Amino acid sequence: MPVEIGKIDRELKKLWAEAGGAMTRASLINLAIYSEAPGSLPQNTEIIFKITEDHACRAIVIGANPGAPENRVEAWISAHCHVSRAGSKQICSEQLSFLLEGPSAKLLPNIVFSQLDSDLPLYLWWQGEFHHPMDAQLWAWVDRVIYDSQAWSNFGTQLGRVEAAQAEAKQRIVLCDLNWTRLVQFRLALAQFFDHPSSHHRFNEIESVEIDFAPGYRSTAMLLAGWLASQLRWTLEKDSNGNSLVFRNQAAREIRVNSQEKAGEPISRVGLKCNSIEYRVTHAPKADLLKVTVEGSNAERKCLMPAGSNDPVRLMSEELMRGGPHSVYLRSMNAVRNLL
Amino acid sequence: MNPLREGLATRSVPQACTVVIFGATGDLTMRKLIPAIYNLAADGELPPAVTVVGFARRPKTDEEFRKEQEEATRKFSRQTVRDEIWNGFAQALFYHQSEFHDAAGYKSLAERLEKIDRERGTGGNRLFYLAVAPDQFEPIVKNLKEAGLNKAREGSWARVIVEKPFGTDLASARELNQIVHHAFAEDQTYRIDHFLGKETAQNILVLRFANAIFEPLWNSRYLDHIQITAAETLGVENRAGYYEGAGALRDMVQNHLLQLLCLVAMEPPTDLGADSIRDEKVKIVRSLRRMTREAIVENVVRGQYAEGAINGKPVPGYRSEKGVKPDSKTETFVALRVRVDDWRLADVPIYIRVGKRLPKSGTEISVHFKKAPQVLFNKESVSLDQNVLVIRIQPDEGISLRMQAKMPGTTFRIEPVKMDFHYGTSFGKASPEAYERLLLDAMSGDATLFARRDEVEEAWAFIDPLEEAWVAKENQPGLFEYPAGSWGPEEADELLARDGRAWRRL
Repeated sequence: MPVEIGKIDRELKKLWAEAGGAMTRASLINLAIYSEAPGSLPQNTEIIFKITEDHACRAIVIGANPGAPENRVEAWISAHCHVSRAGSKQICSEQLSFLLEGPSAKLLPNIVFSQLDSDLPLYLWWQGEFHHPMDAQLWAWVDRVIYDSQAWSNFGTQLGRVEAAQAEAKQRIVLCDLNWTRLVQFRLALAQFFDHPSSHHRFNEIESVEIDFAPGYRSTAMLLAGWLASQLRWTLEKDSNGNSLVFRNQAAREIRVNSQEKAGEPISRVGLKCNSIEYRVTHAPKADLLKVTVEGSNAERKCLMPAGSNDPVRLMSEELMRGGPHSVYLRSMNAVRNLL
Repeated sequence: MNPLREGLATRSVPQACTVVIFGATGDLTMRKLIPAIYNLAADGELPPAVTVVGFARRPKTDEEFRKEQEEATRKFSRQTVRDEIWNGFAQALFYHQSEFHDAAGYKSLAERLEKIDRERGTGGNRLFYLAVAPDQFEPIVKNLKEAGLNKAREGSWARVIVEKPFGTDLASARELNQIVHHAFAEDQTYRIDHFLGKETAQNILVLRFANAIFEPLWNSRYLDHIQITAAETLGVENRAGYYEGAGALRDMVQNHLLQLLCLVAMEPPTDLGADSIRDEKVKIVRSLRRMTREAIVENVVRGQYAEGAINGKPVPGYRSEKGVKPDSKTETFVALRVRVDDWRLADVPIYIRVGKRLPKSGTEISVHFKKAPQVLFNKESVSLDQNVLVIRIQPDEGISLRMQAKMPGTTFRIEPVKMDFHYGTSFGKASPEAYERLLLDAMSGDATLFARRDEVEEAWAFIDPLEEAWVAKENQPGLFEYPAGSWGPEEADELLARDGRAWRRL
């Protein structure tokens, strides 16, 4: 429903009043999505519809075109309703959509601030590249900034902008990289190999790591290598051609990390070799389960574990569900920062 | 500590182990345990090496056991069973046939577990689940000890999960505990009370100790009273054999409701360690004012349902149910007024009621605050209602707060309004089943949500005098009938009416 920006609150009240108590409004966060991609509004509305099934929020969806010659500001309100898992009740989240063209795109902070559901945290999902300079006024209100570094053309420049904004902001912002979220299930599958204390000595026996990544997902593979290196305290020794790395562990043992491009899922295979044992996690194209294998001199053990999905809805849901300060991400990213 | 786990889990990670279920062909295994383990595996919560060995008397092959469990899991699992996951999971299910008292069966079990350790990487960790009647504990535990299965080798662990009922009185509880302790130390023993595995029961601690607004008011200065209700529309169903000997007090109050009472009355623990929490809980059970015969008559009401109707359908009375004696004196309803003699809740009565064949099913705790002084609003006309904080345990888990608000208009008319939080509304993700959480905790060595020996024994020490009074030859308190579909006998209402209070309407 199109509305005047100054009357959004009133129209929202009307929207809920019309429901006559048949729907329950729910909200746990303010989720703002910003995109400059043409046609992003309907796409993001679709995404929000799916996200609100599991994460009740007030969604503020902004489609911007700062380069447009004409000034244009339009707003709509809508509700996304789902039948609750607990019963037959309709649970609804509200969405405010904005189209900002021309100089009015600079109104972003003003629009976001005036439409927040009070007292709830603000998550800003920034789709695409960050501009310079970053608007410090906007960043001062954000609790978590969500981005996908996989799509960045220059990781160093982009992250530099985020970090500068983070430093300028008066409150602590958690950096949430969906490229890191992509790795959650692989990290879980790899971590479980070493849960039993009797397997901990294997960390020092890792000789090599092999990672297969899909075209365009080299940065995802690098983050995975960075995670292993930072958590297992390896130091980067050599970077021969970007996909072949040499680390050294604390016992000065050399570990070769080779990654290769291969069509399929963003990360389709990770193998760790430790002496006579090989730990392997593979993700077949479009499969929703990972194949997890330990192969030793005597036997082979296999099992299936949930696989992640490269779908933005699943990635966002995973991110919203997990939360946390992402300190491991920062360490992992810093371990391979120059390679990204 | 596995460094690769950092940032991935906020709970302790379960270790690969073999779960040996005694009573593997029973209802609990089929309806709850195997579906729970399957769901954990499907959600990627379990180490892949986790293995289950069903131990029971009936002859059966591994394949037959797997087939049986597959059918049950497809029926009772909270998520749809996927063939590709089940096929892998089924390979981790084994069946071991033996009589519970046959020592040779345990010797062969030990050999089998060794083999599983070698082949599946379970690392010598064993979790023994006693899903059997308490009279089978002794032979099982004794034989486990004789086979050396109660002790784990260096770097591994052996734990035992004991299902309720933990005895029928203090003496039998002590005896059962003694039997278990003969083979397993307290830190190896996990007494399961599935109520504690429920999300809302765990949320009581979060609500109380993570929100600064409640704790300062949580004492006799501001609280008027507390009510704990566990109501069900169901009758005795097919549990008459057990229920006739137990009754509502033993079946529900001694374990589930006293556990809830502890969570609502305890002091903040020093940390979230299992013993820190359980230390505080046991202080509450110890502080429950013991009742004399006279006090029992005054503070406890027993009832038994008679013929009536549930949801418009006629239902028989308890004594006409299959398996129930026609002159049965077993209570299907009990209401109590209890006192916690500690500094926090002295003079705050806690009313507990539990019953079968009540009009509605639901378990909740309601915390009733004292009324605001009536010096300002309507001081001569309408009385202000109390603020009530309700913690709904099941169904429709959530929290609500009743407060006063001014009605729109030119007069100062004040009406109660309700702020309501529903888990199902705010969080789309479904809560795991209580058994999933508790099994995971036992595999991780986290005993926080399990009852400790002293808690169980102190609870019986409180309950025993009530049971004794009911079977005494003289001055036996009455057993009051109530029609099925009502909120219990009138005497239960009078229990509160005498204090100028009334049961909360569910």
